Amino acid sequence: MNIYNIKSSQLAEFFEQLIKSGKIVIAPVLKKSGKVFFEAVHSYDQVSTDYIQTGFSAKSVVFPKVEELFSFKKDDEGIEITNNLHTIPETVVWGLRPCDASAFNYLTEFFLKENPDTYFAVRKEKTTLIAISCAKADDACFCTSVELNPGSTSGSDMLLTTMGESVYVEVITEKGKAAVETAASLFTPGEEKSKEEFLAKVTSVFSMDEVKERIKTAYDSAEWKHASMGCFGCGACAFACPTCTCFDIQDEGTQDSGKRLRCWDACGFGLFTKHTSGHNPRTNQTERRRQRLMHKFKYSVENLGIVSCVGCGRCIRNCPAHLNIFENILSVTK
Amino acid sequence: MTSLQNKVTELFENGTINLLIGFKEAIHKLPVPCFIDNVSQVEQLIFTPSCKGNLSVYLLKTEVKQAKKVGILANVATLRAIVQLVSENQLGDIEKTVITLDAKGELVVFATMDELEAYVQANFPDLSEEDKKLLDQLNAMSRTERWQYWTEQFTACVKCYACRAVCPMCYCSSCTVEGNQPQWIKVSSETTGNLEWHTMRAMHLGGRCINCGECGRICPVGIPVHMLTVKMNQDIEAEFGAKTGFSVKNGYALNSFKPGDKEQFIK
Amino acid sequence: MTNQYIPYKMRIANIIEEAPHVQTYRLEFVDEKDAEQFSFKAGQFAEYGVFGEGESTFCIASSPTREGYLECTFRSSGRVTKALANCELNDIIGLRGPFGNTFPIEEWYGKNIVFITGGIGLPPLRCLIWNLLDQREKFGDITIYYGARTVNDLVYKEELEEWKNRSDVNLFLTVDPGGETPEWKGLVGFVPTILEQNPPKSENSVAIIAGPPILIKMGMPILGKNGFENENIYTTLENRMKCGVGKCGHCTVGKTYVCKDGPVFTYDEVLNMPPEY
Repeated sequence: MNIYNIKSSQLAEFFEQLIKSGKIVIAPVLKKSGKVFFEAVHSYDQVSTDYIQTGFSAKSVVFPKVEELFSFKKDDEGIEITNNLHTIPETVVWGLRPCDASAFNYLTEFFLKENPDTYFAVRKEKTTLIAISCAKADDACFCTSVELNPGSTSGSDMLLTTMGESVYVEVITEKGKAAVETAASLFTPGEEKSKEEFLAKVTSVFSMDEVKERIKTAYDSAEWKHASMGCFGCGACAFACPTCTCFDIQDEGTQDSGKRLRCWDACGFGLFTKHTSGHNPRTNQTERRRQRLMHKFKYSVENLGIVSCVGCGRCIRNCPAHLNIFENILSVTK
Repeated sequence: MTSLQNKVTELFENGTINLLIGFKEAIHKLPVPCFIDNVSQVEQLIFTPSCKGNLSVYLLKTEVKQAKKVGILANVATLRAIVQLVSENQLGDIEKTVITLDAKGELVVFATMDELEAYVQANFPDLSEEDKKLLDQLNAMSRTERWQYWTEQFTACVKCYACRAVCPMCYCSSCTVEGNQPQWIKVSSETTGNLEWHTMRAMHLGGRCINCGECGRICPVGIPVHMLTVKMNQDIEAEFGAKTGFSVKNGYALNSFKPGDKEQFIK
Repeated sequence: MTNQYIPYKMRIANIIEEAPHVQTYRLEFVDEKDAEQFSFKAGQFAEYGVFGEGESTFCIASSPTREGYLECTFRSSGRVTKALANCELNDIIGLRGPFGNTFPIEEWYGKNIVFITGGIGLPPLRCLIWNLLDQREKFGDITIYYGARTVNDLVYKEELEEWKNRSDVNLFLTVDPGGETPEWKGLVGFVPTILEQNPPKSENSVAIIAGPPILIKMGMPILGKNGFENENIYTTLENRMKCGVGKCGHCTVGKTYVCKDGPVFTYDEVLNMPPEY
């Protein structure tokens, strides 16, 4: 880990250098609806700095909502299959929160550990993550309950923490170093210091150890029905979530030419597990919501050793009924 | 305990309801739906003018129907939805107890559907100021400009179907998007396909939507989805004189023909 | 890193109409190089795709001991299987695989093997049956309980004849009551009933049961009653599958991915899973 400092007033210049370096720069942008979303930008003017959390996560950079697996075309000789993995550009994601950066650790384990996913691998390789610590949090945030914190460097290539007139820069990886080098003159080497006073205070709502233990026997809890009553079975939570990875594979076009796509899917949808025969292993919304929570706090731990929830609170904010994941976890593990 | 909480306790204790769908305060101090099946949970209940959500959608949920005797806190938009749902024969499975808050802040527990209908007709809601403004803006646009507006909006749609999920009128057990023989609506999210989805849905809702605005309010990417049907309803009201959620004898303007209608094709 | 989503191109070399709406396709690799490096073991499945329509999951129904081709047997019921059924000889379809785990055949040397299945549950076991029969001397008794709703619904009719006529195979072939024809010479009765009336011996035996959920539900207790331990009863689970490689999430049962941790499981393993299959 290398420490640098840069003047707050020069962040814009650093940003412009990143753009000039030829990479695609994705940053939080304030939309007309009042929500902030990650978008490709061309200048620092477009970047929003006054937000607690973006609407959706940055996972679409490595796991887009629609990914073309390949395109095909029938000709006299047979079928030609091509894909455009070679066109994926170098990308910098600016302004993700420490929780979001940590989510990339989970995504990497999930997609690459077993049966590695080529599309994710190519995209992740070309992505640099520049995270910004949280000076503010709201009551949907619960990162400290899942063993993270508003100043965590986990998963990011570089973490920026504003400390008054200057920005404390933690460079964690080679990619972070390369980012510094695009504007080396702006950075001065610095000393390690505590970020605590500049970080938001996020109260813990549960003990991760206790939840991990109790959830082992939570499957048959009678509380699931009540906890899931408000759930309509839409995909808002899963699509907003930085660690949700379920997808559908769909062909579009005709049998003569077209493409095969992978698109975001959600275990909350009624059809998610339905067989062609009509049999559905998860017949009602209670069972489907239970699956989502059990997966995040038990099955991911059993399979990859990681709780696949980073406490970003997006599911709570985006849910039409504002279903509260940590309240539900507490009630089913009582 | 507030008078609301006392009233609800009473309804549980005298066996009128097994389940109450109401509001409680949650994150960001927002009122969110809550489900009470026991008097011990009553103290979280709130019902104020800021409780704008339309809870009627839950009356169609299997788990709610299982409770048989269901109470619901209903603002005027929700009352309107209940009238429309009754006119479409969708609420026959449950015994409902509907509670509203009148303009003076007094609780009203409707004894009969007629009473509810009369109340709705006497307090028929207008569009919110915000929606009126946006509707005016849309009406002022040329066709090209309107097309441009919606194309831009629906490029952001991620096909999460939250709009469909939260709508009390979207109760089809097998939705058009779920079929793949043929595949009317694409699964993937891209501009044209998204426009197709929303246009199709607006067509299924025009003349049934009760303008609660929930779909637009809850859209995770901030698309004012409700304006499609608000505009359609404006046109349908002008053409057919039909006001959705006004009367249980309503039915559905676009699938009924009355001798007074101006179309000549059937004569 | 192999790209798990790019299919092999397969030519339809032969089509057999097995039963109403059920066909077997024999597939050959278009590219010789693919044929050379492809190998699979009994129990594994593949994703068979019609370009432009989608993919469907079936087992590989031919035995790995038979080289040069792969076979799949399917019932046309949804969009993709109907499109597949509409294909003709020499059409090119896509195949991704092999996916999943395998039957632990090496652990069964010297043992008696019992197969219990019905209807369209036979294809995944047919691969295994031929795999064993092609090395017959390594195993003890081989007993097969198979039935379908009607005579017409039986699949692999010619192979059933062959198995019936082999002295080293015990075949209990049945149709449901009412499904027999006047010429029918086999048994009449539901498969679990026939199983109960002619129970297999459990000593030094392994049972593989697959097929419609009702068959498994009724067959398991009968095996248990006759002394079969749960760890010696195998099944092949089916769930909605898309990617085949443990990523899309559709086939999960608890922490288990049917596509990569299965589809072959012992009954013990199945009992330890939440009932979501």
